[in-house]
Amino acid sequence: MSAIKPVLTKGIGELNLRDLEVYRSEGGYVQFERALKELTPAAVLDMTTRSGLRGRGGAGFPTGKKWSFLPNDGRPRYMVCNCDEAEPGTFKDHMLLEETPHQVLEGILLGAYGIGSHHAFIYIRGEFRRGYEIFRAALDQARAAGYVGSNLFGTGYDLELTIHRGAGAYICGEETALLNSLEGKRGEPRLKPPFPALQGLYQMPTVVNNVETLASLPHILRNGPEWFAQVGPERSPGYKIVSISGHVKRPGNYEVALGTSMRTLIDECAGGMRDGRKFMAVQPGGASSACLFEEHLDLSYDFDTIAKAGSMIGSGAMVVFDDTTDFVKAAHAVVRFFAHESCGQCTPCREGGNWISRTLTRILDGRGVPSDIEVLKSAGHQMTGLNLCALGDSVEPFLASVLHRFEDQFRAYVTAPQAAVA
Amino acid sequence: MTMASEVHLKIDGIAVTVPTGTLLVEAAKQAQKHIPVYCYHEKLGPAGLCRVCLVEVEGMPKLQIGCNTVATEGMVVHTQNAKVDDGRRAILEFLLLNHPLDCPICDKGGECDLQDYVMAYGQDSSRVIDGKESKPKAVDLGPTIVLDEERCIVCQRCVRFDELITHERSLVVKDRGAHDIIATATDQPYVSQFSGNVTELCPVGALTSKTYRFLSRKWDNHRAVGSCAQCSVGCGINVDVRQGAITRTMSIPEDVTSDGWLCDRGRYVISFGDDQRRLRTPLYRHREQLVQVTWDDAIGLWAQALQASASPQRVAALGGGRLMNAEILQLQALFRSFGTPHLDWRVGRSQQAGAGRATASLAELDRAQAIIVVGVPPSQSAPVLDLAIRKAVFRHKAQLISVGPFGAGSSVPQQRAARIDEVAGLLPDGTERIVFVWDGIDPQLGREIANLRTQWSTHGRSAGVLVATTLSNAWGAEALGMHPSFGPGYQPLASSGLDTAGIFAAGRAGELDVLSFHGANPVLTWHDASIVREALARIPFVVATDLFLTQTSELATLVLPVASAFERNGTMTNLFGQARPIEAGLPVPDGALSDSEVLVALAQALKIALPDAASLTSLEERALEAARIAPLDCGAEQLAGRRLAPDRPGLQLALAANVFAGGGTTAHDTRIEALRPLPTATLEPATAQRLGFVAGTLVDLHAGAASVKNLTLRLDASLAPDTIALVADLPQAPANLLFGSEPLRLEATRVLEEVAA
Ligand SMILES: Cc1cc2nc3c(=O)[nH]c(=O)nc-3n(C[C@H](O)[C@H](O)[C@H](O)COP(=O)(O)O)c2cc1C
Ligand code: SF4
Ligand code: SF4
Ligand code: SF4
Ligand code: FES
Repeated sequence: MSAIKPVLTKGIGELNLRDLEVYRSEGGYVQFERALKELTPAAVLDMTTRSGLRGRGGAGFPTGKKWSFLPNDGRPRYMVCNCDEAEPGTFKDHMLLEETPHQVLEGILLGAYGIGSHHAFIYIRGEFRRGYEIFRAALDQARAAGYVGSNLFGTGYDLELTIHRGAGAYICGEETALLNSLEGKRGEPRLKPPFPALQGLYQMPTVVNNVETLASLPHILRNGPEWFAQVGPERSPGYKIVSISGHVKRPGNYEVALGTSMRTLIDECAGGMRDGRKFMAVQPGGASSACLFEEHLDLSYDFDTIAKAGSMIGSGAMVVFDDTTDFVKAAHAVVRFFAHESCGQCTPCREGGNWISRTLTRILDGRGVPSDIEVLKSAGHQMTGLNLCALGDSVEPFLASVLHRFEDQFRAYVTAPQAAVA
Repeated sequence: MTMASEVHLKIDGIAVTVPTGTLLVEAAKQAQKHIPVYCYHEKLGPAGLCRVCLVEVEGMPKLQIGCNTVATEGMVVHTQNAKVDDGRRAILEFLLLNHPLDCPICDKGGECDLQDYVMAYGQDSSRVIDGKESKPKAVDLGPTIVLDEERCIVCQRCVRFDELITHERSLVVKDRGAHDIIATATDQPYVSQFSGNVTELCPVGALTSKTYRFLSRKWDNHRAVGSCAQCSVGCGINVDVRQGAITRTMSIPEDVTSDGWLCDRGRYVISFGDDQRRLRTPLYRHREQLVQVTWDDAIGLWAQALQASASPQRVAALGGGRLMNAEILQLQALFRSFGTPHLDWRVGRSQQAGAGRATASLAELDRAQAIIVVGVPPSQSAPVLDLAIRKAVFRHKAQLISVGPFGAGSSVPQQRAARIDEVAGLLPDGTERIVFVWDGIDPQLGREIANLRTQWSTHGRSAGVLVATTLSNAWGAEALGMHPSFGPGYQPLASSGLDTAGIFAAGRAGELDVLSFHGANPVLTWHDASIVREALARIPFVVATDLFLTQTSELATLVLPVASAFERNGTMTNLFGQARPIEAGLPVPDGALSDSEVLVALAQALKIALPDAASLTSLEERALEAARIAPLDCGAEQLAGRRLAPDRPGLQLALAANVFAGGGTTAHDTRIEALRPLPTATLEPATAQRLGFVAGTLVDLHAGAASVKNLTLRLDASLAPDTIALVADLPQAPANLLFGSEPLRLEATRVLEEVAA
């Protein structure tokens, strides 16, 4: 499988990386110890910036740049690892958590050190009970081994880590909703500005980073930022785990260099389409992303190329649809999900999502009318760009892309309802 | 790098200059442009929820929200163009999707921001095919407020008021997405001293006051603008009247004194004026019965009694703390001209030690580094003052200390001190600006506060004092001369008359012929009811001006029906020493007169010349001015050594305040039934345990032969140990029966079943 380059996933399925000794024998915690003993936080920040690493949680924001926004004002700073992974189609973070918990932990510790934080947090999705237990055990081992706590390696540097479990809301993956939830408040996004870099957790300067983002740090330190930067496209470098699901032969997580083509990902990694089935569409970045089609398959899978094509790679979740797909039902599933997960704070997301969801439900019930098509198009459009957080802007992309491409499927429902339902 | 203090920008082509940090919603006002808002509110700040405040900022691809976008130098803003209009229309369409078509029956109709903005910016046709989601229409949130879930647009103003202004945090948003609803955090009733404000903040008709539901429409109300006369704060108030009855009172958003809020007393105690029990004719005691007499006869009888008295020294007048400034001046002028020196306004519990000498401004309270609450919490005596305290504590990090048996207010972090002399030890070095908020009840405490002030002033500490009471014009009554030792403006008198305690003592000794009460009810409010009753029994001619037959006026010889504060014009002086305008929303009802008219009639009958209107005005101004600069401690020596209550062994009695207690307006307002306090006795939990009592027990409390019965026992951890607290001034359980040094005995009658079960 030429496309697959195991870095983050190295050893998974072969070694018991949950065991501290095994992880150590693979070079684990060496970078953390080196950082604390030999590197200043500024040096870690500099290496992260030079690696070109972009956030793996969805927005693809350059990690080093994000860290550099923290003000130097003497207040305590917090590093928060986002392990809420709930975007339909994404399933890489909990794999990392369960299979290589020490790699995740070392990444968090390095990230915390890189921003000069003495207290890090990990927010674990409530449903990830197994991952939580495994990570806890790893944390206990690491603490006993002197990687977490006070005066680490005799350097005088203190670093604590707190695990927080979510309670089952997709919106709590949004970084400011996550911070509210972590503080024990209702999980709803905060109004920005102020941004977390200035007023984050408990009003202190805070960085929220994705699990995979942080897990990349030990490798960047070990192999050098240039090693990471030279992989893949210049502005979208590095290794990335892509969760591939849908109508492919071998759904699963595949680690590749960014810049691999989508065709390679589907055909080589995921084994191609199911037998006898034809590729129709792909969501390159989970439920929030617009579909791309046959003509896009040779595009390089990286942040900028896919954005230019009108979609996004998000957290790296490809959902593949073949020619058996009823795109009205698919659109309904996606819209209903976002309407259900809307926190309800802001008007367009709360009302618009519900409106579109109800309209699609009625269409599928065989009670659609031709004017519904117009409503689906305009309501989706008019709720986008007006919301407080990105969830509200996630309703439209998939719906609009399939409505545009497969309008006939929608029309069939509203003109000959009974026939379509049958 | 220093930041420029001003920025220049263009809003719809109009150049404006605003202070750095100004939000676009506010900046637009300068350009006379209106940006519509729902969730934003000047006093709550931005929340960014409703998204109706969209504007276009050149150079930014997406529309921005005007409520959270800060004006920057050179910004070019459009509050109206095709793009903005589209965005707003979209938001309004979303808001109407599930909004019921209630306008014709909605209390908010005519003053609803949803109605108004849809008319201004919305579209007139609906694209909705699916039926509207139906939700509960009349959710009982608590004793005062009803929620219509269908009308709610989830702007969260109510929730944020409860969080940012009252800090009580009882309202929350429950569920999520399209199922969002407003509820209480605990599913317990929404109980707050300030609940009514949410009905004003609510931009739609989702939150309504039970007292106003379906009562009137905006356009049927006519409005008088004045100040609330229900306590010593004097909040600015709009009084809405329809067909001769008050339908509601509303805050005045720009009023500085109240910061635009009202408490529930000011908002809901409005219906006593047309209560059936309202007195409509003078009453005279004839053969033990009160019989109706004409005003001419009534004034004649009173004048006769005064003239028949052997000496003006055998005449006294009490009260005035609820009168207008001008009426107080007339009252003291009349009796001083007649020759009596025995005048006192202090008819509440004990010798209230000088409200008028209080010196602190609202600004000083706001800027104080430490606020020291002495005695009953102001939340129960002058509620909106407590909001100002909460603001100082939460926004400006003032330190709050409460002295005495009660906590200063449950929603505010505070330190406790049992005695005043412990306070100094709690203040960190560098605390220079201090304000005392005192209930004015115990003269001994007043003395200690005064001493501390003197001591501190030599150490560079300044300490102001505010006296918070339910009396609307205590400050004015004292500053304008209803005081045995001072004339208007604290002008010292050649010789002092008797104070209230002295007057009652003289009455009991048979040394008084005529005593008049001017809006006072000491049988209920004086610390020892038996003294008052004994005095009244011995004084041959007792006059009471009042709205109702109260515990005191029902014992009088002559009862004169007078006008309420809603029925006359004038000024009252609030606890900051500011004259506040009162405007009549209603005429004086048939059969009643204003106190001023009563006094003028009596003066005529006695051939005493009272100052005319013009000289009253100038006298008022001069006296208040002089009072504001009078030293706080003048006359304090009089009070030294007086104690509120003799020492009593064992359990101590503490009198708690409740804004809805009292025997007058609150007791005669049938629409606030649910708000009136129930007779309770409160113990601190450990004390209750030691004495072997559990919450919910029905108890009687005895002191010697006197008892107060049927009190429900409550526990409150913020109460001092070894103390039992009763609500003062409750007609059905008058705590002032238990005054004295006899030990208190608590006796269980039964455990309430629902609590015991
Ligand atoms: C509705 C919503 C859900 C999100 N869920 C997640 C999530 O589960 N995990 C995650 O890492 N980021 C999630 N994000 C993105 C975070 O807000 C944030 O951008 C990210 O954690 C930053 O980490 P990164 O810079 O390392 O990518 C979500 C964003 C939105 C708007
Ligand atoms: S966009 Fe949706 S999820 Fe995000 S804040 Fe608004 S209502 Fe909540
Ligand atoms: S009840 Fe009124 S104030 Fe409260 S959220 Fe709803 S609309 Fe806003
Ligand atoms: S605080 Fe006092 S003046 Fe203000 S509304 Fe309440 S009762 Fe009236
Ligand atoms: S007023 Fe700006 S979002 Fe509500």
